[in-house]
Amino acid sequence: MSWLSEWAAYLPQLMSGLGVSLMIAGISIVAGYPLGLVLSVMVTAKNLAVRTLALAVVEVGRGAPALVILYLFYYGLPKFGIAFESITAACLALTWNSAAYSSEIMRAGLQSVARGQLEASNALGLSWRHTFFRVIMPQGMRSAIPGLMGVAIQMFQGTSLAYAIAVPELMKSAYNIGSQDFNYLQIFTLAGICYAAISMPATWITVYFERRLARQT
Amino acid sequence: MDAFSAVLQGLPMTLMLTASAFAIGIVGAVPLAVGLSSSNIVVRLACRLFVDLVRGVPIIVWLFLLKFGIQIGTFKFDPVSAAIVGLGVVSVAYLAEIYRGGLEAVPRGQGEASGALGLSRGTTFLHVMVPQAFRIVSPSIATYLTGLLKDSSIASTIIVAEMVFQSQSFARQHPTMEGILPYVLVGILYIALSLPVAYLSRSLDARMRKAVYV
Amino acid sequence: MTLSEIANGKVAPRTGIRLDNISKQYGSNIVIDDVSLHVEPGTVTALIGPSGAGKSTFLRCINLLERPDAGTIQVAGHTIEPGKVINAKDLAALRSTVGMVFQSFNLFPHMSALKNVSFPQQKVLGRSKSEADDRAMQLLERVGLKDKANQHPGRCSGGQQQRIAIARALALDPSIMLFDEPTSALDPEVGLEVLAVMRELADDGMTMIVVTHEMQFARDVSDTLVVMADCKIIEQGDPRAIMSDPQEARTRRFLRAVLER
Repeated sequence: MSWLSEWAAYLPQLMSGLGVSLMIAGISIVAGYPLGLVLSVMVTAKNLAVRTLALAVVEVGRGAPALVILYLFYYGLPKFGIAFESITAACLALTWNSAAYSSEIMRAGLQSVARGQLEASNALGLSWRHTFFRVIMPQGMRSAIPGLMGVAIQMFQGTSLAYAIAVPELMKSAYNIGSQDFNYLQIFTLAGICYAAISMPATWITVYFERRLARQT
Repeated sequence: MDAFSAVLQGLPMTLMLTASAFAIGIVGAVPLAVGLSSSNIVVRLACRLFVDLVRGVPIIVWLFLLKFGIQIGTFKFDPVSAAIVGLGVVSVAYLAEIYRGGLEAVPRGQGEASGALGLSRGTTFLHVMVPQAFRIVSPSIATYLTGLLKDSSIASTIIVAEMVFQSQSFARQHPTMEGILPYVLVGILYIALSLPVAYLSRSLDARMRKAVYV
Repeated sequence: MTLSEIANGKVAPRTGIRLDNISKQYGSNIVIDDVSLHVEPGTVTALIGPSGAGKSTFLRCINLLERPDAGTIQVAGHTIEPGKVINAKDLAALRSTVGMVFQSFNLFPHMSALKNVSFPQQKVLGRSKSEADDRAMQLLERVGLKDKANQHPGRCSGGQQQRIAIARALALDPSIMLFDEPTSALDPEVGLEVLAVMRELADDGMTMIVVTHEMQFARDVSDTLVVMADCKIIEQGDPRAIMSDPQEARTRRFLRAVLER
């Protein structure tokens, strides 16, 4: 049997895995970015306790491997009686990841807004809320867009690690098929193609945005 | 045995994986970066496709492909070599992209001035472009190294006995509360290990900013 | 010894340039439109005109940083025609005969001042390190920067950087020097240091073509003033004559705008 017909046979099972992968990635992004925004403001807070807490959350989320955070949620916390479904653990771990990474990007974006904007807003007597949400954030987020897209791609690829806690995502589906027929080369090649088919165009779009932004500024 | 010494047992392997893959990447990325900035469109696109493909597939997939998918005659990768080759190839792709960015960031005037002086293309590349590009990218390379250190943990999924693998086996043997310890410790250890590199990267970055490039 | 004698190690072989019917366009955008210019050996030509007139591009055609689409260039025994393929060796030889100084200096930031001046000599002329270093030191001393020899460009002022750049170009024994707005990136008083060095070079008889906005320098130092506007040379001749009595309305407008500033 040729590779192509084998692939055709495997594809439905892989697609359901891919659906799970995309769902986990989607949740970690939708939940992670707002958290990241909050963290990005918290790390610049005047209150030392708030700042330290936010910094710790960010540094652990970025500094520890995603796999370790995943294990911490899935194997670690149950030992204290806090147990999650494997898919919930994956979502929580990747959300922490994406919040930490995106907060750094958003912080850099917010900091890149010229000081004069803040001064002008203050001089005009705009409230803190208006200054932040209407003046600083729109400008800062614009320059953060390519970076945030990069984190989204990273999260999608990161879902493959959920294989290690037996989440039935793309990688796990591939492994299951592979261990039935022992045709690992075909199945992992196909899995790789599935990941690349999403990551590569996403990367190209990111690069496009990056270039457009670089031209405009 | 306590959790900390269990985790530490995996430290040499983690460091070995990281160092080997980094060495492969640092060297292998050079020709690829040259290809990425080649004026020949076929060469450039081929290199671009290679880089984007390698980066577009998660590391765990590359490791499984090498470990389980490759069998040439009687040759099969053992877990450690599969991890080194896999992480090495991924490093090649990421670092090539970093190098290319650095080469592009060297001001146009540098190439022009070299041309006006009559310096050959080879001399210009080696003595004018590369040293400046290296200074520009050294903070990014340091950042990548910390990323690679963390990514080496993925080797545990193909049964390489590095730190995360050791944490796992300790946790499995200790179903009590003590079992959470290795995960906490290994997380702290990764952060601690990347501190010197992050510090180096930050000081390189500061030095870069101080240097007035006119 | 004069500056150019130090530069050449002997009295400079004086070379002129003949540029005939040079044209250059990017896509459909014409930058230089059929321009001819003959420069006599040992003379200084000042090239002035509004920005966008094609002055810099024209200058860059002389050492082939830009390859003209049409026209011939005769310089230092080389004849360059658009269709003719030039090999890398001839190109390097031509470029070392024609020294160039840029508006943005373009010193190598990762090399000391001394290395900036010495390194191209070793690579292009094949001089030994000690020979090149000696020559570099002589030239740095001559432009008043002997004490900066071991500094990197980042630690030098703009005026100092530009003087190092002049020394770097002179180190290759050029018989012609091109200056592309050498003082435009500098504060006025700092620009004077650079102009002083250029004046000295002109007094020594170096053939020079200078794109500049420094009207006083153009009037006092140049032998020929060339006015470019809209991709063409619209007027050329004695600088004092043109400045006091421009023949073209476009020149008059330009001079009034520059002098009244």
